[in-house]
Amino acid sequence: MTEHKHIYQAMFLLDNEEVRQGFNAARDWVKSTLEKHGLEVKVLRLWGERQLAYPIRGRKRATYLLGWLEGSGDAVNQVKREMYLLGPVFRCLFLQEEEIPAEELALGIPEVKDSEIIIPEEIEEPEFDEFVEEEPEAEEEAEEAVAADSADEETPDAELEEVKTDGN
Amino acid sequence: MATKKNRKFDFKDIEDLQVYMTAQGKIHPAKRTGLSAREQRRLKRAIKYARFLSLIPYVS
Repeated sequence: MTEHKHIYQAMFLLDNEEVRQGFNAARDWVKSTLEKHGLEVKVLRLWGERQLAYPIRGRKRATYLLGWLEGSGDAVNQVKREMYLLGPVFRCLFLQEEEIPAEELALGIPEVKDSEIIIPEEIEEPEFDEFVEEEPEAEEEAEEAVAADSADEETPDAELEEVKTDGN
Repeated sequence: MATKKNRKFDFKDIEDLQVYMTAQGKIHPAKRTGLSAREQRRLKRAIKYARFLSLIPYVS
């Protein structure tokens, strides 16, 4: 049976920790994985590094790779299976398209120096649980203060009793 | 909102997609977007692809 070849637009979401070690290494891993399963890579370029709308695997930022490929649907399925098991790819999306836009085709696989890609550090915000832990201590302090107040209130009565006994 | 017939939506064009969404992240109905049934389906698909890639939130 002959395999029908299609054109696909693909987007890959890469782990910033892996990209920090070398963008070219991460991109080459994606490219070699695609080619290993018989997909022809026409374009593979950096689309951007940005904040995620919701965290994925504990990461708040990630790097996006955009690609244009040619190959069969079976190859795409095999690539997806491999990417979700191994490597720096969080998510990948393959969309079948009719043709590759000329402006994209002109870009090809541009060379990027690792030093050109600046990835900001993720700021670790304190977790909500840390604030919750402080509440019992505050409650204890409040209870102690109430107990102290009540002890102070008892003393005048005791003094009165003492005065009465002295008077008798 | 529809400016031309047979509009196509790109999942990468987040600003364009967010025009058709509520602040909560829901997709406006076709009655409000003014898109045809085919265009509304294209919009739906583009938004769902963008959500999958964490470009726009599922709920905000």
